[in-house]
Amino acid sequence: MKPAPFDYAAPTSVQDALGLLAGNDGAKILAGGQSLIPLLNLRLAAPDLLIDLRRIPGLDGITRAGNELTIGATVRQRRAERDPAVREAAPLLTAALAEVGHPQIRSRGTIGGSIAHADPAAELPAVLVALDGRVIARGPGGERAIAAADFYRGFLTTALADDEILLAIVLPVAPPRTGAACVEVAQRAGDYAACGAVAQVTLDDAGGVSDARVALIGATDRPFRAHAVEQAIVGGESIAAAAGHAADGVEPIDDPRVPIAYRSHLAGVVTRRALEQARSRAT
Amino acid sequence: MSTHTIRLTVNGHEHVAEVPARLTLADFLRERLDLTATHLGCEHGVCGACTILLDGETARSCITLAAQADGSEIVTLEGVAGDGEELHPVQQAFWDRHGMQCGFCTPGIILSTIELLDEHPQPTREQIDEALGGHLCRCTGYVKIVEAVQEAAQAMSRTRP
Amino acid sequence: MTPTDGRIFGSPLKRKEDPRLLRGRGKYVSDIKLHGLLHAAVVRSPLPHAAIRGIDADPCLADPRCVAVLTAADFDEIPQLVCIDAEVTTLPFLQPALARDKVRYVGEPVAVVVAQDRYDAEDLLTLVEVDYDPLPAVVDPERALEADASIVHHETNLVDTLRYHTGDAAGTITNAPHVLRERFETQRYAGTPMETRGVIATWEDRSGAITMYSSTQVPNGVKTNLQIALDLPENGVRVVAPDLGGGFGVKLQIYPEEILLCRIAQKIKRPVKWIEDRWEHFVASTHGREQFHDVEVGYDDEGRILAIRDDCVTNTGAYLQSLTLVEPFIGVTMLTGPYRVEHFDATAKVVMTNKTPMNPFRGVGHVQAAFTMERIIDLVAADLGLDPVEVRLRNMITPDELPLNRKFGNVLAGTIVYDSGDYPTCLRRAAELAGHADFAAQREQARAEGRYIGMGFGCFVEETGLGPYESGTVRVEPSGKVVVLTGACSSGQGHATTLAQIAADELSVDMDDVQVLHGDTDLVRFGVGTYASRTAAVGGAAVRVAAGKAKERAAFIAGQLLEVDPVDLELRGGAFSVAGSPAASVSLAEVAAAVAPGSPLPEGVHDYGLEATDVFHPKTNTFAYGVHVATVEVDIETGVVKHLRHVVVNDSGRVINPLILEGQVQGGVALGVGGALLEEILYDDDGQPRNPNFMDYLVPGIENVSPEILVEHMEIPTPLNPDGIKGGGEGGAVGAPAAIANAVADAIRPARITATPLFPARVHEAISAAGLGATVEGSAR
Repeated sequence: MKPAPFDYAAPTSVQDALGLLAGNDGAKILAGGQSLIPLLNLRLAAPDLLIDLRRIPGLDGITRAGNELTIGATVRQRRAERDPAVREAAPLLTAALAEVGHPQIRSRGTIGGSIAHADPAAELPAVLVALDGRVIARGPGGERAIAAADFYRGFLTTALADDEILLAIVLPVAPPRTGAACVEVAQRAGDYAACGAVAQVTLDDAGGVSDARVALIGATDRPFRAHAVEQAIVGGESIAAAAGHAADGVEPIDDPRVPIAYRSHLAGVVTRRALEQARSRAT
Repeated sequence: MSTHTIRLTVNGHEHVAEVPARLTLADFLRERLDLTATHLGCEHGVCGACTILLDGETARSCITLAAQADGSEIVTLEGVAGDGEELHPVQQAFWDRHGMQCGFCTPGIILSTIELLDEHPQPTREQIDEALGGHLCRCTGYVKIVEAVQEAAQAMSRTRP
Repeated sequence: MTPTDGRIFGSPLKRKEDPRLLRGRGKYVSDIKLHGLLHAAVVRSPLPHAAIRGIDADPCLADPRCVAVLTAADFDEIPQLVCIDAEVTTLPFLQPALARDKVRYVGEPVAVVVAQDRYDAEDLLTLVEVDYDPLPAVVDPERALEADASIVHHETNLVDTLRYHTGDAAGTITNAPHVLRERFETQRYAGTPMETRGVIATWEDRSGAITMYSSTQVPNGVKTNLQIALDLPENGVRVVAPDLGGGFGVKLQIYPEEILLCRIAQKIKRPVKWIEDRWEHFVASTHGREQFHDVEVGYDDEGRILAIRDDCVTNTGAYLQSLTLVEPFIGVTMLTGPYRVEHFDATAKVVMTNKTPMNPFRGVGHVQAAFTMERIIDLVAADLGLDPVEVRLRNMITPDELPLNRKFGNVLAGTIVYDSGDYPTCLRRAAELAGHADFAAQREQARAEGRYIGMGFGCFVEETGLGPYESGTVRVEPSGKVVVLTGACSSGQGHATTLAQIAADELSVDMDDVQVLHGDTDLVRFGVGTYASRTAAVGGAAVRVAAGKAKERAAFIAGQLLEVDPVDLELRGGAFSVAGSPAASVSLAEVAAAVAPGSPLPEGVHDYGLEATDVFHPKTNTFAYGVHVATVEVDIETGVVKHLRHVVVNDSGRVINPLILEGQVQGGVALGVGGALLEEILYDDDGQPRNPNFMDYLVPGIENVSPEILVEHMEIPTPLNPDGIKGGGEGGAVGAPAAIANAVADAIRPARITATPLFPARVHEAISAAGLGATVEGSAR
């Protein structure tokens, strides 16, 4: 399976990259390529031009400023997974990264690539949505921030315009006494999960839950923020009871191997397990 | 379709080549450099047979473009044993423990094992599963692969300074 | 002559082939480079069923990158694939090498394009314009038998009906104290080697012949088929099988692409290569297993199986392949496995649908038979509240009943006669190794803690060591080196080592001095190839007999040289000497040199060279057997199954190399894990494959297979070949799915398990249906 013909460019500035993107419907951004190139090899996608971000400086930073952690688009997943600053500021991202594919994929895959690709079964989009992060994008008109809640529009579809490039993501730094977890149900590690959940729990001084973040992976055509669960927990319900709300408002995808009723059921199971793990890690 | 000049080091040798944009790194290694130990089992990044070391980390050459490897250092299985007769301890362990049958998945597994033992000289079973979880083998059932990894770890810890 | 000692035979020697492969110097077909090599890609049907109104290759030929296009129009008569074991059918179910008027499955070859490289060739595929007129497709075999079903070929989708019966099953069931009625389903899956298929065909000017390199398990058979397909004389084609990255049965027949690439090489007189990509492999290489058994089982209060009626349906896909009928044949005739069932009545319907064709792969019908029978035993045991091991023992054929003529047979296998073995001892030993006696208590304890573990048994008997024959040549060179030629062709099983062990054992030489050559029809004139667990049993026998003949001749020559009676000579360390007089000795090298051309032959010796050939025709096939015991844990909330531990007691007769056999069994178990839990080739109702890739077709990974697969060998020799070998390449794959399915059923009793694969949603459904899951969720608070 060889890809259809395309041109390739590796510009050295965002400006140049935008220039290549402008007015070219057949152009696609190439970051790690771990999601894109399989599609090209299978001839499920046939862009005219791949614009590789690898030579653009300034896109691979991990910086903490105040209460925010900014991660550049081309930061490799493996590097982010091992970075102590990330673990301290965004333990949910660290937990989720451990579940992304395999080490051989994470050495090349990027943070920005996974966020922008918008596969509903991917972990990083769920993290962005759970934490109310935002995406920094630049287009011909300038730079803008897109809130996570507005970013995912559907299957492989985001709010990024065709002529925009994702430059970085910004995540809120986790408060003290926060624990995080990512739980997926799959027959093989690294596969698309039948259903998964990312969960983050923050405890108050009395040991009660002051903040909870939950998003579902692979339940529907985009990450699903389980507000009902979060409200129930913060409202004092037990984790098990709160997890019962996991599928509230979700329209699950149907699949011969993962029927709707089963996926809805799993949503509750993974939510409960992720919350339990997150809570036990909140110290 | 555009072509690009790439400069890269493969198994210690420098190469300069003109490649079409869509040529994968795997095909560059196999067809242009005649380094055929890197195998193609799926070409969609799942089976791991195409695994190489790219700038020191294991990566899938079937879903990497040759153009993306400009400026990189690559190690394939052919670069592991060196020029002499002696096998690398990982290769030796796979021989001793019958960790290989048809040999098609083996090059990638050996490179991932080398990376694993570099970072975790005495790996736990969990760490072995993590490092090799992205390699499909249809012949061995994995049991003797794990034994080979563990034996290699022992052998290398004996000779470590 | 005194017998040689057996230290090489039976030793777990490291493999001779490994260093080269470990260094990355393997040569699989895709690694082979030839000067001027062109590359082919195959135009394949995107539809499961359609009439072809026309094929226009002109737009493709007009492209400057196109070197050639091959369509059905380029043949006067399109060659067809053969079906070796079709006994009764005369209807045209055979597959043409290229579609002309109809396509019958997604992936069926329609044309071949040739370019300078594979990238360009794939670009050119869309330029071949094929005018399809879609027809309705049928994918479900029972639907295909209905009166209004779309017909795949001609008149009916029922290719054949096989019937086997002994005694009076219907009557016995009517009078039986208990009757079980159940339907057991095995899914469609495939061998899926890590190396896909591939072909290089080249025209040799000097000989006016074609050389074809192919990733094939059967080079000699393919050569014969190519001669027929392309009307070539015997020396008109040479087939070479280089290193193979696995076969598992998927590579055991001639395929269209082999015929087509040879035809192209013949036409354009340039070498051309086609490497199957993974998507192609899922649609263009044969599938296996899809088979249902509707059974009625009569049994008594002691759990003795009195009678079985079996209505079996096999979904064979769109065309007959070389050995298509083996899957249904074995699926019913081997159903009762190691058990004594006097009254048996099975009907096996072979049904065509618009899916990729089916052909045997590792384990073939034994897998479905074992799954069905072993589930029956466990259900009977559960119904009566008896220990499933005890029920097995009550039904098992005992050693004194062997050899046992089962009275069934077919044109390929002859009559089924279980030749040798001790099934009850095997079962008892496996149960002991697995800790069966203590397990029930552990299971109940675990359940009290909210954990669901189970243990399951999978007993099987398997037809192995199949004929019709295999060839072996043993040649001693004047250097003292021994060359062995075999018609068995390796796809990773270590033949270069195991067959060398036989020759080295017989000739008392070092393993380093023996070289095994295979896979080249110019070297090996007669051969059948590797499948059906036959290499050690039949290929090994040919090597043993040939080596014995060479040794006998060598002994005679040595006797002449030493002026002693050959009867007084012993062969040790590669040299002949009189026992007790080591000083007077002559080495094998010296013996070979004595009969090398250029000098007069010793007295009484009439031919030059020290070489012997045997073409071993086993009288009938032998029957390996074994018992698998699997332990699993089921996540009661998600239905995910974890394979915890696996034990196999396996009788493959005498073992040449226990390390290699252990590897074969463990690999087979992993394939069994895939069959039990993960793998399924899925089609939608319109006949489109749903998961032709490794993302959605789940081959077991390292975490899916039990970290411990304990293999113990029983070695009850078969009388059917000199070394008493039964064959062990497939048993792992046969017993494992049954054992794992039974273990899952044990873990979640009383939930009912009747189909594989046991993917999480299916297990969860069984759990819910049995009312198990609810209690757990309640206690999660």
